[in-house]
Amino acid sequence: MYQLKGVTKRYMRGKNPVDALAGVDLTIEDGGRLVIQGPTGGGKSTLLQMLGGLDRPTSGTIELDGVDLATLPESRLTKVRAESIGFVFQSFNLIPTLTAQENVETALVPLGLGAKARRERAAQALESVGLGDRPTHLPGEMSGGQQQRVAIARALVKRPKVLLADEPTGNLDESMRDEIMELLDGLWKEHGLTFVMVTHDSSLARKAPRVATIRKGRVTVTENAAV
Amino acid sequence: MFFTYLRRELRRRRKAALVVASGLALGIALVIVVSSVSSGMSKAQDKVLQSLYGLSTDMTVTKAAAAPGSGGTERPRFEFDAKDDEDATQSTDRVMVQGFQTLASSTVGKVGKQDGVADAVGGLSLTVMKVDGQFKRGEFKQDGSAGQGGPGGGQDGGQPQGRVEGGGASFDVNSFTVYGTDVTQQDLGPLTSSKITKGRTFKAAETDAEVAIVDSAYAKEKSLAVGSTVTISGTAYTIVGISTADSGDAAANVYIPLEQAQTVADSKDKVTTVYVQAAGSQQIDTVKAAIQKNIPGTTVTTSADLADTVSGSLSTASDLAAGVGKWLSVTVLIAAFLVAGLLTSSAVSRRVREFGTLKALGWKSGRVTRQVIGEALVNGLMGGVLGIAVGVAGAYAVTAVSPTLTAQLGATGGGGGMGGGGPMGGGGPGRQTAAKTLDIALTAPVSLTTVLVAVGLAVAGGLVAGAFGGWRASRLRPADALRRVA
Repeated sequence: MYQLKGVTKRYMRGKNPVDALAGVDLTIEDGGRLVIQGPTGGGKSTLLQMLGGLDRPTSGTIELDGVDLATLPESRLTKVRAESIGFVFQSFNLIPTLTAQENVETALVPLGLGAKARRERAAQALESVGLGDRPTHLPGEMSGGQQQRVAIARALVKRPKVLLADEPTGNLDESMRDEIMELLDGLWKEHGLTFVMVTHDSSLARKAPRVATIRKGRVTVTENAAV
Repeated sequence: MFFTYLRRELRRRRKAALVVASGLALGIALVIVVSSVSSGMSKAQDKVLQSLYGLSTDMTVTKAAAAPGSGGTERPRFEFDAKDDEDATQSTDRVMVQGFQTLASSTVGKVGKQDGVADAVGGLSLTVMKVDGQFKRGEFKQDGSAGQGGPGGGQDGGQPQGRVEGGGASFDVNSFTVYGTDVTQQDLGPLTSSKITKGRTFKAAETDAEVAIVDSAYAKEKSLAVGSTVTISGTAYTIVGISTADSGDAAANVYIPLEQAQTVADSKDKVTTVYVQAAGSQQIDTVKAAIQKNIPGTTVTTSADLADTVSGSLSTASDLAAGVGKWLSVTVLIAAFLVAGLLTSSAVSRRVREFGTLKALGWKSGRVTRQVIGEALVNGLMGGVLGIAVGVAGAYAVTAVSPTLTAQLGATGGGGGMGGGGPMGGGGPGRQTAAKTLDIALTAPVSLTTVLVAVGLAVAGGLVAGAFGGWRASRLRPADALRRVA
């Protein structure tokens, strides 16, 4: 479970301080699904970075299962990312020189698994996203949708507790968007993940049980009883 | 994963990898060629010095040069007796001590007793000038009216009138050098720089035997062979061996036992040079100082002193290799290291998102840094292999071409008593440097050490480049991965 209290992130833009996050209080239950919405520059990605332990707040606490990510030493924070958090990026962020299978394996490298175990788990992960027949394809040889599937397999192969997705359908056409969202929803339910997704797409937000709208660093959470 | 990732990245960035590797290769190749040529120069100089000193000799002791006008110069005189037989060939030779400066044989013992001296042996260098030829008596031609007492004449008293016509002299001058060697200690001195190619060397018992070893070049010129004789001052020496100098000119044309040389030169118990071997190379300067202090009237010349007097193209090339070559190599290497570092650092900048993503996936900074350093190191090693190949090929080409360098020795006549030289333009081994000119073929031997240094430089180049890139990668914050695509 995530528990954020008074999270503030202040940047300096020239000589002027800018609060990307201004005293955010937020709770995300285990297995919960939250969509973060808001205008560009409103602080959506900053909040996601805080949740993923990629950045630290200027003040406030970000507890994941009782551990404060804001003050955790870098080595332990790296371990948390390696074991508990899966990321999916808008631009897929695959390593262009590695095959689909090898890209998935990169997420298992920090866990210290042997080469054989890595190969087996990566193959299973690719199978689960419908790419079991393309393990040797390079990212450049695949469509955007297929690349995002590889990225999702990479995020889930380590069996994380949390899946953080930053506009995962932002670079995809409508049909591919629906396909990917269907896949993510299926995996969320199947694995009991805590799923947090940033999106500009209101149609996707409408399907989420909870929506956090962030404007000028302040978060407003709305429950969607219809979902 | 490390090697797979590394291999794929290097393949993806072939051009950049090739630029880095080529830069390092150029630097390393230059280092190999320059150090090999320098090594060749050093060997050439050693050969020059060995041709004078022989192997194992660390220094020579000669008599200090006499002050000008103190009787240090003599001119050879040749005397021929009048003979009745006008067709008789007359022959005479003069045996002169080279440089006209000798030391007492006891000096050898004194030198040998100095601290740090492992061995000392004396030698006598001689020049023999041989003049062969004949006089032709002129013919007296009587005038037609001469001898006839004419009227009113008679003032000539009946003596025949006329003049001498024709006659003259035809002489051939042959000069050669003789070295009197201590046959009981043949492991030191000029003869050690030659190999016996026919016959045998002296026996230890032949201290006063009439035997000789002749240099092969001189033997060929004079058609001499083992078993034939060479005559010096009326004594016929049986040739027991033919020697060939390892490089350059031989120290002498003819080698005879020391006692024989002293006899023919009328220099009993005299030597021109004492050849000294120090107990260790570190002790050479100490031994030199001790001899100069304890044995007055002597000049001690070390290999280093002699090397300072080397001039000619060998010296010029050596200076070039040591100066320009060394600095050029260093400059190219530094430039190559910097270029490799900057290119690697720039490659890291282009891969910020990639490394940020890996950090977001839980890769530690150290693992990312190792990946960058690994790639740079492989680049360096590729440069090393390429550089070693090019460098060895370059060194091989120098050896194959074998440019001839000329070494002139001892033109200065300064410090170490060099350039004594007598009227014959010589001086004995150890002091004959005034006129010594040798042609040496340059080689560029590549030693294992040089190759190891090249490998070390390649690794260092890779590490320098990797350090640049690794430093950047380690400072990268994973948030950048998301920020770049937000």
